[in-house]
Amino acid sequence: MNSTTSQSELETDLQFGAAGSARLVLRGRLNAQTATVCWDELEPRLRGVKLQKFEVDADGLEFCDGGGLALLRYLSMGLMTPEAAVSVHGLSTDLEQLFHGFTLADYKALHPSSAVKCHPLPEEVGSGVRQAASDVREQVEFLGNVTRNLVPTVINRKRMRWKEVGRVFEAAGANAVPIVSLVSILVGLIIAFESTQTLAKFGAQIYVVNMIGIIMVRELGPLLAAVLLAGRSGSAFAAELGTMKVNEELDALKTLGLDPIRFLVVQRIIAAMFLTPLLALYATFLGVTGGALVAFGLGFPWSLIFHQLTASLRMSDIVFGLSKGVAFGAIVSAVGCLRGLQTQEGPSAVGVSTTRAVVTSIVLIVIADAVFSVLFYVLKL
Amino acid sequence: MNDAAETIISVRNLKVGYGDTVILQNINFQVECGEVFVILGGSGSGKSTLLKNLIGLYTPLEGEVWIEGTNLVAATGDERRNLLGKFGVAYQSGALFGSMTVLENVRLPLDELTTLPAPLKELTALAKLKLVGLASSVQKMPAELSGGMQKRAAIARAMALDPRILFLDEPSAGLDPVTSADLDLLITELAHHFGITFVIVTHELASIYKIADRVIMLDNQTRTIVAEGRPADLKESSNPWVHRFFNREPDAVASGLHL
Repeated sequence: MNSTTSQSELETDLQFGAAGSARLVLRGRLNAQTATVCWDELEPRLRGVKLQKFEVDADGLEFCDGGGLALLRYLSMGLMTPEAAVSVHGLSTDLEQLFHGFTLADYKALHPSSAVKCHPLPEEVGSGVRQAASDVREQVEFLGNVTRNLVPTVINRKRMRWKEVGRVFEAAGANAVPIVSLVSILVGLIIAFESTQTLAKFGAQIYVVNMIGIIMVRELGPLLAAVLLAGRSGSAFAAELGTMKVNEELDALKTLGLDPIRFLVVQRIIAAMFLTPLLALYATFLGVTGGALVAFGLGFPWSLIFHQLTASLRMSDIVFGLSKGVAFGAIVSAVGCLRGLQTQEGPSAVGVSTTRAVVTSIVLIVIADAVFSVLFYVLKL
Repeated sequence: MNDAAETIISVRNLKVGYGDTVILQNINFQVECGEVFVILGGSGSGKSTLLKNLIGLYTPLEGEVWIEGTNLVAATGDERRNLLGKFGVAYQSGALFGSMTVLENVRLPLDELTTLPAPLKELTALAKLKLVGLASSVQKMPAELSGGMQKRAAIARAMALDPRILFLDEPSAGLDPVTSADLDLLITELAHHFGITFVIVTHELASIYKIADRVIMLDNQTRTIVAEGRPADLKESSNPWVHRFFNREPDAVASGLHL
């Protein structure tokens, strides 16, 4: 049972002898490519065959790289022929030295165990609850810390760094105008367009203006502005502060005797509390414009559209929308900063903080929105 | 293993920079097979930029980089991919993939670029890790390693495909003297036993004397190579900047202290 295979570079010759012995002769270049071919050829013929003695003759090897050595080691460690006594001979002195640099003992010691660490369910639940509790605790602490610092910082002109407020105002507010414009005018158009078809059944198409006015002013204007702020700026705050934490800039501030909350967080919260109502007002205006365009397209004159709008909206609706904007702005900026300050060590930490900032912001915005609705209903505004 | 001077890298008339800013020009040098070649220069002299041009991350403004007989600057497609496989690079910070264990990091090039069967890939990766002395940390995450260990792991990863050339960016930066000396020993052993050619960017004087066969020195003012030779020769150089560098003399003019 002999076979000789000749590849372009490596010659493999496997011979089975009497009494469970075999002999493999390798000639030529044993590199990653030829080792692969050699493996494919040897494995089906050797695995599972009962061998007592297996000899590998490497005398004819001209070249052997890391992949080739791995094949020789695999064979010599008896991993393919577990019961055989394997000997490899004929290696050049250099290769011989290299070859013995990694032995079966090394392999056994280093071979990673496949056992995956598994925590019992109660442990998982416990650590999850503990984490959630400590997260709530940190949020409350942060809220207290910000509240304590807010007034003293704003009053003290030197401490306030109004320049930073201006920069944030520009980056988070002015630069967000194009995207807010596009999104709100489209949302206004879509809602109006979809609802006219239903309203038409009742012959009440003109009420699309009343509807879009109330929806935009009380709900969607502030909500759109806040969600876009969370996506654009809440994430940016988390990334900025997170990067500063990773670069030890926050530590540098602390050792200079400056509180990061007073130095970085208060400015962002103040800026967001001013800019979000403005953005909300702008989003509302464009959303209503979108709705009005649909109504105009249906053939209603501008004067009628305007009349419907002014008749259906009260001043309190606008105040309601704007006050929501202030609250949403505070939530988004505070959450962004908190997540940034909570950034852990490691390469993915800033990314994790950014994601957490956006997710937490949006959840809290919706919860706050619900609270506002109940509050204003009770107050009959 | 150092066979009769075979040139493995040849840099011809290289000019590097970004846009209109020229950082280095008239760069000409050759690296012989199996030597440890050190690129030396002060902070801001363009060492790392030069290295990034040599390994094909940046395209030089002018000039050619010949590696094993192929011009890397002009190579495209398969030719370029082939050439990139002939050298390994260990970056200054290690640049290990943070989401993978050390072993997975070293296995990655084998997994992606070779067809070896899985057991052989693992065996190869383990052998490389043992070679750089990281045998006990194969299952750890990069973040759990010390700076010196991360650099060793980066060298193991760079060696995974048995390249003939290894580029190292500041291998001993930020390491304590003992760890740094260990790394120097590893480099000289790899160069002498395996005939690997090293191109190393550094400004650590102590390790230059130990590892370098030949050194080129870059200069901030003239923006080119000001000296080339064995470290001992450069110590005696008549160029004032090279002399100051090798003898650790302060620059009286640059210093703001006029005591």
